Amino acid sequence: MPVAASAIYFLNLRGDVLINRLYRDDVGGNMVDAFRMHIMQTKELGTCPVRQIGGCSFFYMRISNVYIVIVVSSNANVACAFKFVVEAVALFKSYFGGAFDEDAIRNNFVLIYELLDEIMDFGYPQNLSPEILKLYITQEGVRSPFSSKPSDKPVPNATLQVTGAVGWRREGLVYKKNEVFLDIVESVNLLMSSKGSVLRCDVTGKILMKCFLSGMPDLKLGLNDKIGLEKESELKSRPAKSGKTIELDDVTFHQCVNLTRFNSEKTVSFVPPDGEFELMKYRITEGVNLPFRVLPTIKELGRTRMEVNVKVKSVFGAKMFALGVVIKIPVPKQTAKTSFQVTSGRAKYQASIDCLVWKIRKFPGQTEPTLSAEVELISTMAEKKSWTRPPIQMEFQVPMFTASGLRVRFLKVWEKSGYNTVEWVRYITKAGSYEIRQLVVSGSKLVMAEGAIRLFSTGSRCHEIRRGEGHLPGPTQPAFDM
Amino acid sequence: MPPPVQSQRSPSPSQPSGKSEVSDLKLQLRQLAGSRAPGVDDSKRELFKKVISYMTIGIDVSSLFGEMVMCSATSDVVLKKMCYLYVGNYAKVNPDLALLTINFLQRDCRDEDPMIRGLALRSLSSLCVANLVEYLVGPLGSGLKDGNAYVRMVAVIGVLKLYRFSSSTCIDAEFPSILKHLMISDSDTHVVANCLSALQEIWSAEASASDEALREREALISKPIIYYLLNRIKEFSEWAQCLVLELVTKYVPSDTSEVFDIMNLLEDRLQHANGAVVLATAKVFLQLTLSMSDVHHKVYERIKAPMLTLVSSGSPEQSYAVLSHLHLLVMRAPYIFFSDYKHFYCQYYEPSYVKRLKLEMLTAVANESNTYEIVTELCEYAANVDVPIARESIRAVGKIALQQYDVNAIVDRLLQFLEMEKDYVTAEALVLVKDLLRKYPQWSQDCIAVVGNISSKTVQEPKAKAALIWMLGEYSQEMQDAPYVLESLVENWEEEHSAEVRLHLLTAVMKCFFKRPPETQNALGAALAAVAERVVNPPKQAVSVFADTQSSEIKDRIFDEFNSLSVVYQKPSYMFTDREHRGQIEFSDELGNLSIGGEPSENVVSAQRVDENDKDLLLTTSEKEEASGLSNNGSAYASPYDNSSASAVGSQTRAESEISNPTATGYSSQSASLGIEDLLGLGSPAAAPAPPSPQLKLNAVAALDPSTFQQKWRQLPVALSQEYSVSPRGVAALTAPQALIRHMQSHSIHCIASGGQSPSFKFFFFAQKTESSSTYLVECIINTSSANAQTKIKADDQSTSEVFSTLFQSALSKFGNP
Repeated sequence: MPVAASAIYFLNLRGDVLINRLYRDDVGGNMVDAFRMHIMQTKELGTCPVRQIGGCSFFYMRISNVYIVIVVSSNANVACAFKFVVEAVALFKSYFGGAFDEDAIRNNFVLIYELLDEIMDFGYPQNLSPEILKLYITQEGVRSPFSSKPSDKPVPNATLQVTGAVGWRREGLVYKKNEVFLDIVESVNLLMSSKGSVLRCDVTGKILMKCFLSGMPDLKLGLNDKIGLEKESELKSRPAKSGKTIELDDVTFHQCVNLTRFNSEKTVSFVPPDGEFELMKYRITEGVNLPFRVLPTIKELGRTRMEVNVKVKSVFGAKMFALGVVIKIPVPKQTAKTSFQVTSGRAKYQASIDCLVWKIRKFPGQTEPTLSAEVELISTMAEKKSWTRPPIQMEFQVPMFTASGLRVRFLKVWEKSGYNTVEWVRYITKAGSYEIRQLVVSGSKLVMAEGAIRLFSTGSRCHEIRRGEGHLPGPTQPAFDM
Repeated sequence: MPPPVQSQRSPSPSQPSGKSEVSDLKLQLRQLAGSRAPGVDDSKRELFKKVISYMTIGIDVSSLFGEMVMCSATSDVVLKKMCYLYVGNYAKVNPDLALLTINFLQRDCRDEDPMIRGLALRSLSSLCVANLVEYLVGPLGSGLKDGNAYVRMVAVIGVLKLYRFSSSTCIDAEFPSILKHLMISDSDTHVVANCLSALQEIWSAEASASDEALREREALISKPIIYYLLNRIKEFSEWAQCLVLELVTKYVPSDTSEVFDIMNLLEDRLQHANGAVVLATAKVFLQLTLSMSDVHHKVYERIKAPMLTLVSSGSPEQSYAVLSHLHLLVMRAPYIFFSDYKHFYCQYYEPSYVKRLKLEMLTAVANESNTYEIVTELCEYAANVDVPIARESIRAVGKIALQQYDVNAIVDRLLQFLEMEKDYVTAEALVLVKDLLRKYPQWSQDCIAVVGNISSKTVQEPKAKAALIWMLGEYSQEMQDAPYVLESLVENWEEEHSAEVRLHLLTAVMKCFFKRPPETQNALGAALAAVAERVVNPPKQAVSVFADTQSSEIKDRIFDEFNSLSVVYQKPSYMFTDREHRGQIEFSDELGNLSIGGEPSENVVSAQRVDENDKDLLLTTSEKEEASGLSNNGSAYASPYDNSSASAVGSQTRAESEISNPTATGYSSQSASLGIEDLLGLGSPAAAPAPPSPQLKLNAVAALDPSTFQQKWRQLPVALSQEYSVSPRGVAALTAPQALIRHMQSHSIHCIASGGQSPSFKFFFFAQKTESSSTYLVECIINTSSANAQTKIKADDQSTSEVFSTLFQSALSKFGNP
């Protein structure tokens, strides 16, 4: 059985129960005490999200200031359990409109109990789709609309929808203006060594859609991915157009996408749910365009002084710009005094996180602002050695840029009434985990540091990215045949 | 469902104790109960909310039961739901009052609104009160026939709840057969999925009691059902897909073309957005192709990309769940992941449970082409991250060094660690350098130069200190000041409490003395000589390069349970779900009464039943007979010898094998599952394999203490001396002596001592007859390179040694067989 959850608890950080829902009585009513005593009040907390106490296993996740705990007594499916929690939280959020935290739970606990009843029965996950649940779980408290009708009439809508085959879309939707919004959101993950070579770099992207379309439309999406393009040229028996093509390492789709058609024709076709949803996710490791390069030089000048020089270079088009750029440069705990010079943006020392934080609100392409800072340390003998040199981290958003180079080639909407639609496409690249390891050199070893910089700026990057990637099988190749 | 009673037991300060509030609520509810004034529903809602919130934080509001029920006559759905929740929580402690609710619940079950019908039915079936069971059968029956799928869906789970509460009522009402029918005929997939969950649970629970249930359970994985479900798989919800896929893994296709058909049908599931579906699909692929090695290999390649994607998306908890599975695959087939090592690089802010798994995977995928990069990366962690991870990563470097041919670069790195001047880094590195020198003595020059610079005062950890001292002794010729360092260490002898360090120190001083007698002062030598002579010269422990802590059987079992907790815990499910195998429960007194089962009285009975079943399951037929024979003797565990120490040893070993040595029990349980398969396959217990030698039955829990063994070994003549060859499988499985010991133990042949390392192992076994105290002693030398085994058998009863020998030989020949 995938998950036969025995109970679900929501706790705040102090261990007070916000919600408890027992689904089965194969566990005692006070499992929450066990969780508090053996996990929350010990160092165990956060060391492993799955823990066995007595005969029961506890899965727990912290979401903002709330712990969600699932208790099972059998050999449950872990992935399923965590996915259930994530989906449930998404569902609650869509009901509360945004935040999911202790206050939201306290204000909505009746609703949460109602939902917990619907999404899981006797430990088995049931329907978690917000679109459908919203049809019959409301806090309005009136009986569902069909109850006023004579009882012998077949029941329309809601309950059919609860269980229907096209579970994600209801019939009979009408919009005055038919619009589709398509957002390609990519996050770039980078791990750069202290010597300036790219250790790991990949892009995880998702395509988010917002559909306001009438009726039961059929949509078809074309991307500039390699396999799709090749297939298309093969079908049309003409050579593929030249231009950039993208090799996707792996793709996953929303349940609405017809996967059979994707596998045979390599096109993404689907009947979309109404409103907002995530159409697909993908991962790319080959040929990633990093939007920023960070060139740090950190010198230790004697025991109590450090010199920090960081240059950040934007390597996307000059007409584009990044927003909300934040660069966090960790410094030792015993930092006493800092002074800065920046050519752009603002910088300050944040003692709470032991970082120099440099913020640039609008960062145009093809520029390279620098920060130079002098850091004075309180001289202590012992602690200096224990500074672990955490990596420099970076946050940013670059609109209209995709690190993977992915582009939407077309989006076709077909509905039997033949209305016109307006399609909007946006691109944005965000920083995922963008880490640059620090190389700290003492003043005397300056020569070596410069060597490192040279190595970095001449950019062994292309080479580095390709190296070691191997040949992941394309997600779309038929893998099995006789 | 017992209410969470916490109020008596130190409630947290923010939570009120609630005595007066409850009585206050009671009054207010009473006032509202009869009222039909407009707006009364709103005020009721407020009150109900309060009641529910008290209930949530653990205040006992069961005294309001009557009032709540009175107020529940309403058409407000939200009120109804709150009331259902309340009733569901407290019905069990108020069975008489719960009767009051039956009326309105039954009425609601006939409501015109399917939503209300469903809700009422769900609440009714959740009540769990004995005297209400009779009222449940009717509504459930009509619920299963309801025109609305939502109601049917609820009713199906209701049947399962009824079964869990009163299995006989459920079976008598023939609900299972209705579910069976619904499962293959209902148009709605939610109903079908719930039927499947319910039937699986019901038949699995019944299977031990009735053959029919067993057949029914088998029927669930029959071709028509599986194909029916597979063909509709896209209609199922993502959760139900997991359920169906899990079922498919148990299906045995008739031929390879069927395997390919299923895989082609399911291939697109690997692109599903729900990671649980992807993992479930991966499991199907892996299980179906187990016997087709080349395709199995392809499957690894195919599922790699989706799994790597899952790792990098979602919350840390989710990626941990996937990583655990990836970890399992990497350990099984590291060569497939050689080029993907960069995916296992750790990010600075990742939680340590993720890092730990990644470190292990990095170590496993290191090969000649990527060693340099992996080691560079690992060195980064040694300097950068939290201490346990830093230690792990240094050990990882060491492990890689011990398995690689090109250690040149690695040795340099290790020596750099020594220069980092962090205590824990130095400590770990010293241990590694010592291990390395044992394997690669040619590096001694480089290492010694660096090690010589380390001040022995900065090294505190016993293991590291012992390593340093070992090197001082071993290379005292090359290290200028070795005698003086040792001398200062000896001066602090009294402060040194670690036996390991003392032992190494003695040895080192001795070695040093032999090489440089004048410098290792006479006084020193003399002072130590008295103690040293006896203790010195412990065997140089071989560096266990790949000392696998887990036997291959256990690993296979975990693999069979892919996509479950077993993978995360890295142990098979029976170790943490069966009561017997669970380790000590570390509950404090306060939690001592934490009940895991249901009602206490019931619990006892069911626990006994479970125990009996378990016992049956754990023994094959032959062992069962022995067990009954033993219990007839009255003392199941005592050794046949009337020797208290021996029996103590016996019971101790028994206890150990049950509790602290999960691997041993692992085997017996596996043999149990084999037994079950036999039963399933052939339909009757009589068809289970007959014991190899009917005349000779060995005691499964025999005990013998080493001194008795030695004495007997000296006294008895060699009855038989034989040599036979060991199957290649056996040779392959014999990586460490433990594997064979465990195997022989399952054949009731116990090991009293073992030793040696590849290629030559030596074992002393013993066995006892069940009916008498007649003992057999065996010396067995196995050479894995020539694949032969030499045995010498001695026996109390010479006449049966021949029979025993064949038994021994057949047990040995089965070693390594899957």
